[in-house]
Amino acid sequence: MNRGSKILNSKVAGYSSLITFAVLLIAWIAGFSSRLFAVIRFESIIHEFDPWFNYRATAYMVQHGWYKFLNWFDERAWYPLGRIVGGTVYPGLMITSGGIHYLLHILNIPVHIRDICVFLAPVFSGLTSISTYLLTKELWSPGAGLFAASFIAIVPGYISRSVAGSYDNEGIAIFALQFTYFLWVRSVKTGSVFWSAGAAISYFYMVSAWGGYVFIINLIPLHVFMLLIMGRYSPRLLTSYSTFYILGLLFSMQIPFVGFQPIRTSEHMAAMGVFVLLMAVAALRHLQTVLSRNEFKKLFIVGGLLSAVLVFVAVVVLTMMGVVAPWSGRFYSLWDTGYAKIHIPIIASVSEHQPTTWFSFFFDLHILVCAFPVGLWYCVKRVNDERVFVILYAISAVYFAGVMVRLMLTLTPVVCMLAGVAFSGLLDVFLQEDSSKRLANTVNSVQEIDEQEESLEKKSLYDKAGKLRHRTKHDPTHETGISSNLKSIVILAVLMILMMFAVHCTWVTSNAYSSPSIVLAFHNSQDGSRNILDDFREAYYWLSQNTADDARIMSWWDYGYQIAGMANRTTLVDNNTWNNSHIALVGKAMSSTEEKSYEIMTSLDVDYVLVIFGGVIGYSGDDINKFLWMVRIAEGEHPKDIKESDFFTDRGEFRVDAEGAPALLNCLMYKLSYYRFGELKLDYRGPSGYDRTRNAVIGNKDFELTYLEEAYTTEHWLVRIYRVKKPFEFNRPSLKAKDRLIPPTNFISRKNLKRRKGLIRNRPMVVKGKRTLK
Amino acid sequence: METNWILFYVTLICLIINPITAEIVNKNVERNLDIASQLVKTSYKIQVEETAGKPLKEYEFIVKDPNLSFISVKDGFNKRPTIEKRKEKENGLTRYKITFASNAPQQTLLIETVSTKNILPYPSEIKQNDKQLVKYVGGLYYYSYYLTQTQRLNVQLSSSNIIAHTQVRPFAVMSNKISYGPYENVAKLTDDELFVHYENQSPFLTVNTLERTIEVSHWGNIAVKEEIQMTHTGAKLKGSFSRYDFQKDGRSGQSAVKSYRTYLPASATGVYYRDTNGNISTSNMNQMRDSVELDLRPRFPLFGGWKTQYVLGYNVPSYEYLYNSDDDYVLKMYVIDHIHDNMVIDEAVITIILPEGSSNIKLEPPYSIERRPNSLVHTYLDTVGRPVISFSQSNLVENHIAEFTLKYKFSKVSLLQEPLLVIGFIYIIFLLTIVLLRLDFSITSHSHKD
Repeated sequence: MNRGSKILNSKVAGYSSLITFAVLLIAWIAGFSSRLFAVIRFESIIHEFDPWFNYRATAYMVQHGWYKFLNWFDERAWYPLGRIVGGTVYPGLMITSGGIHYLLHILNIPVHIRDICVFLAPVFSGLTSISTYLLTKELWSPGAGLFAASFIAIVPGYISRSVAGSYDNEGIAIFALQFTYFLWVRSVKTGSVFWSAGAAISYFYMVSAWGGYVFIINLIPLHVFMLLIMGRYSPRLLTSYSTFYILGLLFSMQIPFVGFQPIRTSEHMAAMGVFVLLMAVAALRHLQTVLSRNEFKKLFIVGGLLSAVLVFVAVVVLTMMGVVAPWSGRFYSLWDTGYAKIHIPIIASVSEHQPTTWFSFFFDLHILVCAFPVGLWYCVKRVNDERVFVILYAISAVYFAGVMVRLMLTLTPVVCMLAGVAFSGLLDVFLQEDSSKRLANTVNSVQEIDEQEESLEKKSLYDKAGKLRHRTKHDPTHETGISSNLKSIVILAVLMILMMFAVHCTWVTSNAYSSPSIVLAFHNSQDGSRNILDDFREAYYWLSQNTADDARIMSWWDYGYQIAGMANRTTLVDNNTWNNSHIALVGKAMSSTEEKSYEIMTSLDVDYVLVIFGGVIGYSGDDINKFLWMVRIAEGEHPKDIKESDFFTDRGEFRVDAEGAPALLNCLMYKLSYYRFGELKLDYRGPSGYDRTRNAVIGNKDFELTYLEEAYTTEHWLVRIYRVKKPFEFNRPSLKAKDRLIPPTNFISRKNLKRRKGLIRNRPMVVKGKRTLK
Repeated sequence: METNWILFYVTLICLIINPITAEIVNKNVERNLDIASQLVKTSYKIQVEETAGKPLKEYEFIVKDPNLSFISVKDGFNKRPTIEKRKEKENGLTRYKITFASNAPQQTLLIETVSTKNILPYPSEIKQNDKQLVKYVGGLYYYSYYLTQTQRLNVQLSSSNIIAHTQVRPFAVMSNKISYGPYENVAKLTDDELFVHYENQSPFLTVNTLERTIEVSHWGNIAVKEEIQMTHTGAKLKGSFSRYDFQKDGRSGQSAVKSYRTYLPASATGVYYRDTNGNISTSNMNQMRDSVELDLRPRFPLFGGWKTQYVLGYNVPSYEYLYNSDDDYVLKMYVIDHIHDNMVIDEAVITIILPEGSSNIKLEPPYSIERRPNSLVHTYLDTVGRPVISFSQSNLVENHIAEFTLKYKFSKVSLLQEPLLVIGFIYIIFLLTIVLLRLDFSITSHSHKD
């Protein structure tokens, strides 16, 4: 090339890299700032439930150091069992924010660890969009990559898990997921050990961050398997997968929580099987070059059959012997959506484990859900090694997202990528002509090298990128055939759709996903002012200040992490629902009568009981509404004592009013929720004891508590805390007769030498025939 | 009683040795005892006479209340006589030597004392709907080394609901006041007990620890942060708390502290009120003419024995508190500031963080304090660290709101250090990027494609 074209080339490269840089930067900033609604509306706090544990663990790690954290036995959880935190947690999140904290403090920037935790997910969303850009660029083109990066920056399906304050594993795991996939695709493309080792390291980070790493370790082998079936075996594949698998296996076993699972559980067996298969294929390929055709055929049939039988028998025997664990229950629920409901009520009781509704696909993805099949179609039509990967990714993610609301999260990135492909394909067609030559150059020059490579091998098989067959069919002169009017209409429409997408994303983020859920806000309908309900923190702070440091608090497991995080008190059960029978015991205590539950509570050393009660303000997520799950879980472990049917009326209704089932009206949860509520009149005309959440006057109004006493109730009655009395407090005094005398104190009598007569202050005047006045 | 006799003899011997004091007489003593809040505020008006007509130089003053927090003395001409504390306490007494400013045989002394924790809830535990009753035990007569010719005592109470009180004639009860006296010719060191048992619903809030941090920036801002831990030290809550009663019945939980006022300097901006769980959303701020009034509501009403903890912070412009001529700077700020009316602070730690590079630091406190060792703190863009001055004092009341003076040297050139540091850092990053992009680090040599 001569000098002039070189300069032009570098100029074009400069412009395109400037555009890339600017778009990614804007995506990062937009993604970051659209996640800040909660911080601006409320404050910089940790949201919801699980993030509170993560925050507490991070704070512990920052305070005590990494090794103490690794050996941390948390005696404040799961009393009296405790929890080995270091071995039961994915530490990637804590290490990440702890590392940032460490780095900033070395530079004398005294940022509080809470603020790092709050803003970690928004910052990582920027990294996610960059890695999505890289991945899409590998799969399709830089233009599609920029689209995908912009989409994922603001798409609600991802924002729902990564708003500021939602300090959870998913926030960083999606970045790790996308980056691992990028490195994997890159390594398949290049066949270089460097990239596949990089993929293994990124996979290691993913393993340390989220249990969803299983998705990677099944999807990548599936990709390899599909490539083998499609006859796309290459030495590049062998290099990249064997490097990735071996390194990834070793790395993943370094995480204490994962340990030996990668070689012992069924979830990981597919990866190992594919590894063996790939080795076999490679060996056969090698033999094929060495042996003659006949010999090879014989060997192939005999050896293939033998090895298949051998592997099958080995897996069965190992599973029977218990060396390889069978599929875990949580995994079964991915295949059979009814499984959890029958066998593991504790999983089914979580709302995010419910099957996804059609509505939420549109809600979380908007136009992308429509564009996504188009992108998928493009990939299928112009398939190559990498695009096989994204096709598999898309299909499996769609399935999982349909099974569980929560797995919407894994679908979102691939939807963004394929929608990016679709939009960039569309614009390729409709923007190409009327743009000046220079613009076309910029768009194409970057793709050029890519496309040249691809088109060399597939020219005869597939379409060239950037042309739509079905449209161009009508026009023989397909390059210039589309009229400029049509073009501008289509482009305007696309721009409108994209604009509406952005508006929708912002609206959803602002309205659905930006509530910290520990602080509630409501708008006063009369004067429009905004009121804040801070009852949760009020109650937790009361606990932290005014109970003994070792006080044990019984509550439903939803609030375990929050109590530990905000009140720093011992809980019996928490959101790490590893021990079903313990939870069932708490459920049993809540659903038994006061007397029976007192036995359970004393056996568990309970000092305080905390219940959430929304009847005064109409908060629907309270314990009475969750109560049936407590009953179900308790029934699972104690079928003789607790029966779900007892809590329904004859007509099978769950009601709290006078017609409610007697078992319900007398159970502990009912009594604790409605204690003295029967006297409360919410407004002047209404009856007393009217429950706003369930729109009913409660059935059991007048009762006293024998074994517990109200210790604290928050301003809006949202959280009620009761103290469990000690046995001597409600029994007849166990004092012996001689101890019953009141010991002489420094009692000061008003009588002195002069005045010996006593008198009663405010003595009522007694007039015969009239009532006394006071 | 044994000890009293010994004390009597000891003082008698003292009196014999010291001939001047022998002829001093308290002509008239008027005491006003204010026990309407949680503090015992006593003001004395003492007319002293030297019977022999010699000029009066020294006077011995005794405070009987334990936990004396604050004392101030004036004479009749509004001058301040010097006051000096004698030895450490004996038998719970604090003795002061007052040296008069002028020499005259007749003098008038105006003394004010404030003591804490002498009004005790009695009974010490009450139910939510009960009234808080307290008792005060003090001295009926003015306790002095000298003969007192006439004396009166006025006791100011918080309510007219008096359960019991000492009845030594003459006395009169007028709604929420009790006046005793006049008592004539009370011999020296006469000790008789004054006992009042009455209803006191005023907030019994004690600040257990106050950590006040003042961070001075020469860019025009002073940040003040107060970490406060407080307890309701009134009658403890017995039995259960009922939200229903508390909401429905205004008389329920009267002794509980629902909210209190804190006054900040008028120029305070950026006020925050938070605790470990984040912002405490229940508070109001009013901008007054000469102060900022904060209506602070703790997250939960404080009943007897309940505790809470919070952080209150604000910024004030430095031109109001920081004065300089060339490189000499003087910082004048309050040691402590108002937290709530009639406050009691058990322990206050004051920390002052000066800008990096300050030297020759000299602290002049308004009253005696306990110095703590200086240290260094590293925050944003610090290299050597900022000097930290720290001191503490216990048992403080509102009367202790007074200014300290801190003098130090600071050269203005070092103000530029931090911006230059940032500029240099960014410059180096760009330089490194430029260099790195132009270097080839690959281990194999590529043949350059054209």
